Amino acid sequence: MPEDLTPHAAVNRESWAKEAASYVAGAERNWATAEITWGILDVPETEVKILPDVDGKDVVELGCGTAYVSSWLARRGARPVGVDLTAEQLDTARRMQAGHGLEFPLVHASAEDVPLPDASFDLAVSEYGASIWCDPDLWVAEAARLLRPGGELVFLVNGTLLMLTSPDVDPVEPAGTELLRPYFGMRRFEWESDDAIDFHLGYGDWIRVLTSHGFEVERLVELRNPGHGSGRYDLFTPEWAERWPAEEMWKARKVA
Amino acid sequence: MTSPDSLRNRESWDRRSDEYQERNAEFIGRKDEPRWGMWQLPDSELGILGDVAGKDVLELGCGAAQWSILLAQRGARCVGLDNSARQLEHARELIAAAGVDVRLVHASADEVPLPDAAFDVVFCDHGAMTFADPYRTVPEAARLLRPGGLLAFSHSTPLAMCCWSDQTETVEPRLVGPYFGMHRFADLPDEPVEFNLPYGEWIRLFRDNGFRVEALVEVRPPEAAESTYRTAAETDWARAWPMEEIWRCRKT
Repeated sequence: MPEDLTPHAAVNRESWAKEAASYVAGAERNWATAEITWGILDVPETEVKILPDVDGKDVVELGCGTAYVSSWLARRGARPVGVDLTAEQLDTARRMQAGHGLEFPLVHASAEDVPLPDASFDLAVSEYGASIWCDPDLWVAEAARLLRPGGELVFLVNGTLLMLTSPDVDPVEPAGTELLRPYFGMRRFEWESDDAIDFHLGYGDWIRVLTSHGFEVERLVELRNPGHGSGRYDLFTPEWAERWPAEEMWKARKVA
Repeated sequence: MTSPDSLRNRESWDRRSDEYQERNAEFIGRKDEPRWGMWQLPDSELGILGDVAGKDVLELGCGAAQWSILLAQRGARCVGLDNSARQLEHARELIAAAGVDVRLVHASADEVPLPDAAFDVVFCDHGAMTFADPYRTVPEAARLLRPGGLLAFSHSTPLAMCCWSDQTETVEPRLVGPYFGMHRFADLPDEPVEFNLPYGEWIRLFRDNGFRVEALVEVRPPEAAESTYRTAAETDWARAWPMEEIWRCRKT
């Protein structure tokens, strides 16, 4: 059991312990497919093309949840390690591993303080994991430490404009067009609809965090509704996601 | 060949130059130090250009050359480029009055009649990166810069472009227009054509042309900041959401 958690990590561990059961169905669906798709919008990696060839690469997934991203990469020849703070999520991941005969290490830890050695990975990846549930300066510093020189960081977060236009109500209502909160100072969010604490930065702040931890920004892919949204979530309407970016993916490289 | 948009903007700026300088020249010419943008915030606070002494500097869309004059006074070898002959007439007056050496070039920034790798800094302050097509100007900037050179420019944010209403002719506290596909804004017939791109597209364009992104500074004006460009209500908007930003990119 990880100790010495940051206050928000302790809150998030409690919250995710309660939420984990509702992510089992998604885990089963994602583990059952080999195709990589990103985010709520399910945009195929064959369109986004943000991942390097992972065959033979050491990959760490920061905030892996049920570790379906790691499973996709393992099937492409990567050696993944999944890191997550929620024991219940890792339990699901282990059941999926057993069911699919696809084993790889799972580490019970916060992505803000990872018990793995320096410079031991070629790729760090996070899809709605550490990328939104951890303090950006803490988890990006850990990604930088864990990566070898030249290593790549790929992560997915909620769209910045979505964070400005999402109503803070329970139950969740889809984003509208009103700018409901300021952009300047955006970082730590608490919402009526759950107990967790999440982190979202503006564009300039992401560039500052990445460069200050030794990364070079290579890409920002703003995901657009491809027209076949699964509708699993209710954060935005399909029409909204055709006009404005509901999800964003960053790619950065650790400078050698 | 000069593009139709460059010709349209040349005519537009020739027509509006006198009024523009009458409204803004004092505000942007009162510089005790280099200052950026709609609220004239100091470069020393924003950390964009820094020391320019001894550097070859090209200003893309120099207008009346208030910036280039100031940088020349600080030891830079400045070339000011503008698409409008009338703007350059204003520039000549100010350069003569200041008694500095700034070379002026009448051309559009998407087709610059200057040699490759001739500059250490290419920059503009709401200049050519707004009024010419970035798919042409960013490659030109890359061509004109030496390895290790700096591209820095201020412009309106993509968010402000999304929140602009042609009906109210101001920024709204809501998303009005789409973000995806943003490129060319030419809806108002008497106004110059403006360009902007989604953030991801800017980054792709920089990278494709050999630039490393060093910083994106989102400008937040101080409370009650003065501006001859923006109303008090617009300045209030800009204190909540970024209306103006400055990119800093390094030619590798």
